[in-house]
Amino acid sequence: MTCCLAGRAEVEMAELYVKPGNKERGWNDPPQFSYGLQTQTGGPKRTPLTKRVAAPQDGSPRVPTSELSPGHPPVGPPPPSKAPGPPPVESCPSSCVVPTSSPVIEPEALLEDVLRPLEQALKDCHGHTRKQLCDDISRRLVLLREQWAGGKLSVPVKKRMALLVQELSSRQWDAADDIHRSLMVDHVTEVSQWMVGVKRLIAEKRSLSSEEAAKEEKSAAATENETMSGLQQAP
Amino acid sequence: MATYLEFIQQNEERDGVRFSWNVWPSSRLEATRMVVPLACLLTPLKERPDLPPVQYEPVLCSRPTCKAVLNPLCQVDYRAKLWACNFCFQRNQFPPAYTGISEVNQPAELMPQFSTIEYVVQRGPQTPLIFLYVVDTCLEEDDLQALKESLQMSLSLLPPDALVGLITFGRMVQVHELSCEGISKSYVFRGTKDLTAKQIQDMLGLTKSAMPMQQPRPAQAQEHSFISSRFLQPIHKIDMTLTDLLGELQRDPWPVTQGKRPLRSTGVALSIAVGLLEGTFPNTGARIMLFTGGPPTQGPGMVVGDELKVPIRSWHDIEKDNARFMKKATKHYEILANRTAANGHCIDIYACALDQTGLLEMKCCTNLTGGHMVMGDSFNTSLFKQTFQRIFSKDFNGDFRMAFGATLEVKTSRELKIAGVIGPCVSLNVKGPCVSENELGVAGTSQWKICGLDPTTTLGIYFEVVNQHNAPIPQGGRGAIQFVTQYQHSSTQRRIRVTTIARNWADAQSQLRHIEAAFDQEAAAVLMARLGVFRAESEEGPDVLRWLDRQLIRLCQKFGQYNKEDPSSFRLSDSFSLYPQFMFHLRRSPFLQVFNNSPDESSYYRHHFARQDLTQSLIMIQPILYSYSFQGPPEPVLLDSSSILADRILLMDTFFQIVIYLGETIAQWRKAGYQDMPEYENFKHLLQAPLDDAQEILQARFPMPRYINTEHGGSQARFLLSKVNPSQTHNNLFAWGQETGAPILTDDVSLQVFMDHLKKLAVSSAC
Repeated sequence: MTCCLAGRAEVEMAELYVKPGNKERGWNDPPQFSYGLQTQTGGPKRTPLTKRVAAPQDGSPRVPTSELSPGHPPVGPPPPSKAPGPPPVESCPSSCVVPTSSPVIEPEALLEDVLRPLEQALKDCHGHTRKQLCDDISRRLVLLREQWAGGKLSVPVKKRMALLVQELSSRQWDAADDIHRSLMVDHVTEVSQWMVGVKRLIAEKRSLSSEEAAKEEKSAAATENETMSGLQQAP
Repeated sequence: MATYLEFIQQNEERDGVRFSWNVWPSSRLEATRMVVPLACLLTPLKERPDLPPVQYEPVLCSRPTCKAVLNPLCQVDYRAKLWACNFCFQRNQFPPAYTGISEVNQPAELMPQFSTIEYVVQRGPQTPLIFLYVVDTCLEEDDLQALKESLQMSLSLLPPDALVGLITFGRMVQVHELSCEGISKSYVFRGTKDLTAKQIQDMLGLTKSAMPMQQPRPAQAQEHSFISSRFLQPIHKIDMTLTDLLGELQRDPWPVTQGKRPLRSTGVALSIAVGLLEGTFPNTGARIMLFTGGPPTQGPGMVVGDELKVPIRSWHDIEKDNARFMKKATKHYEILANRTAANGHCIDIYACALDQTGLLEMKCCTNLTGGHMVMGDSFNTSLFKQTFQRIFSKDFNGDFRMAFGATLEVKTSRELKIAGVIGPCVSLNVKGPCVSENELGVAGTSQWKICGLDPTTTLGIYFEVVNQHNAPIPQGGRGAIQFVTQYQHSSTQRRIRVTTIARNWADAQSQLRHIEAAFDQEAAAVLMARLGVFRAESEEGPDVLRWLDRQLIRLCQKFGQYNKEDPSSFRLSDSFSLYPQFMFHLRRSPFLQVFNNSPDESSYYRHHFARQDLTQSLIMIQPILYSYSFQGPPEPVLLDSSSILADRILLMDTFFQIVIYLGETIAQWRKAGYQDMPEYENFKHLLQAPLDDAQEILQARFPMPRYINTEHGGSQARFLLSKVNPSQTHNNLFAWGQETGAPILTDDVSLQVFMDHLKKLAVSSAC
């Protein structure tokens, strides 16, 4: 369990990244934020930069202060860090986490560890889910298997899939669904063809489990009723 | 309340309202002498994490012509269980559910802190949200692939119960039937012929007579769901089919010969989309999302022919009355936009191309319906991808930040009338006693329809004081306005947000200082700018500028302190001090100047200006400039060429662009690599700080701005140089000792010259 938590923390870290925009297709394309950064709620927000200075009423600017006279290229270096004087500028906030290459000791997620639970989940849904739908999902799992085995999936996708499966197995439907969304947003090119099958599987497994829960409740209620009637008959 | 600034801020946070005047002149004559009209910026659905909606419905005034909502300003007789309407003074009985109320047991809507309150309406059917994708296939392979992926991605972001539909177009228009059975079928339409709503519905088999088995009335509901199920399906049922369908989309197969544009039937595609929703889901929340990569080139709504040698219209062509298709195309889209608004639906346009795509002609589709307009270079850019993702962003409750089919009703006390609204809405043509004859913006009504809105959508609402001169200050000393917004929440609930505000009346002759001190120059600047931009849509540019100038001069004459004919004596009080510079920058802004912008760009900028809240609008008028140096934390500096210094980094936010500019020395230090040396770590931090701040802005802004990282002498520095006040130009830099700052090569008037002229005119008795 602890291992699972550590794994999640790591993926969460990896999910917070910014990559440069597509400068070839759009001039001055802005950087792209990962799903994790986009949906990040709260966190220490700095005061928004919305302040203005009023121009003096005659419209002329203040005499600007510059410790270096411009026009003359500086001969000297910038003030060194250790020099007494101004405090250093604010430190780097959490959002500038750089994608770290996966640690050396990190074992790569294994195909079977991901695929087998998914296939098992699908098997569980037989009977509950229409056959055609099962076939559709199954087709996409096959596609996932082929792409994974063919080496077409990147390490982050595999890692996040492993996490998704863990959440699915522990019936954390919302968490699993959120990982699916993060994969669609961050890695759509890699996952779009088969991910919709996984998405559907999460939904089917969730509805199956709530159906089972309802059934259990009903049967529990039924047994309770029996004992009640039994009690009534007793005297 | 300590200061007016705090009062203004509190009111904005609580009620989403900013008024130009916070103490109101008590007569019509005095109000017109104030120059800036009594008006407000209203953000009807402003996010209020601290305001959970109440689960009951509002209590209304029983007078049929009033129907104001019970609010904290009403007089209540707790013993008799009566309340007096503060708008029409009608005495009303409380409904039976309120029998238990007393001074100590008040319902929320009577408590002063609930001047804004939201009700959940329990009645009525809950219909799912509808998203109809209208996709251009005349795209380059790379672009089409990126768009397909974004659309597939969006299926994971949409609410699972939402209904989705797909129309694709190129030379032909295809309406895709969506079924879970794996067999896809589509209806193909010619792109050259416009069809009436009736024809479209007949051809798609949406009318009852076309149904295979006509059934008597009771089956109607079933029939309805059957009709819709062919083209609009719940996402959770057809996500796999639709993913495949999108994945298999091909570029438009019709050959495009050299020297030609592809034939693109945008006009007919939109018409079919509008007709489809009109026939199946009138008056339910729906978004038509148009993705296009070029101008419409055939059929109704075409804006340019297919000959590449004939370029798309420019401002020059329009001025010379040489834009052949403009009027007819605009008419086509206006009719569609009005029908869409009447149905309560909204249209988004995502236009990604290097050349113009016809936003000028199509702008009414988004502007009248509250839809989004996004302009990018390519669908394969982060600008498009992330802007699109943000459409589906969620609030603190996990609800989508989108609302549909809103009506806004404004009620006023007797001394006020409503002159009109400027924002993404249409008139509902509801006349009434509180509707003014003087029209500003969309006028002649007390109700408007806003088909698509989000928590930042902001309307400019203009009023007229009608109290007669020399009449006493109205009874009670306060005037009141109520805003009632009924809308479909993204959870599909119907909700009603009610905001009731009051402000003091003051006699402008004896209490001018009170009125002056309560002037909100930021709100006033944005409200005047909206009026100017609204005029610019129909009037010549120079006329609008002249009108703005005249208003500014009159305002300075009224509120400035000066001796006649002595410009040097001119002073403005603190509450007016920034106003002239807002007007100076507004005059230079792309909202009023079309120079250097295409008609599409102007339409795009004006679209966003007419719907953003005060803070964002003000950034658009006068960009924000921050300076980073070794001398301390980043500080705001004048938007002036004198702020461009060698040892500073500047961060400029114009709303549409974020610019980082390294001064000359900083750029040289960076080039020398000091940031990589451990002993100059503080330089590394200095370089990083504006990047982090820019990132924070980028993360929150909708739509994604362009991001420009440049330095002294860089060609992209022009984005900064074109925005700063040119206090130093090549014309005045010869003076000795003026070596600081950066001279701008321009003949534009500087703020100093502008102010000199303004003062001269303000103190002159000739005006």
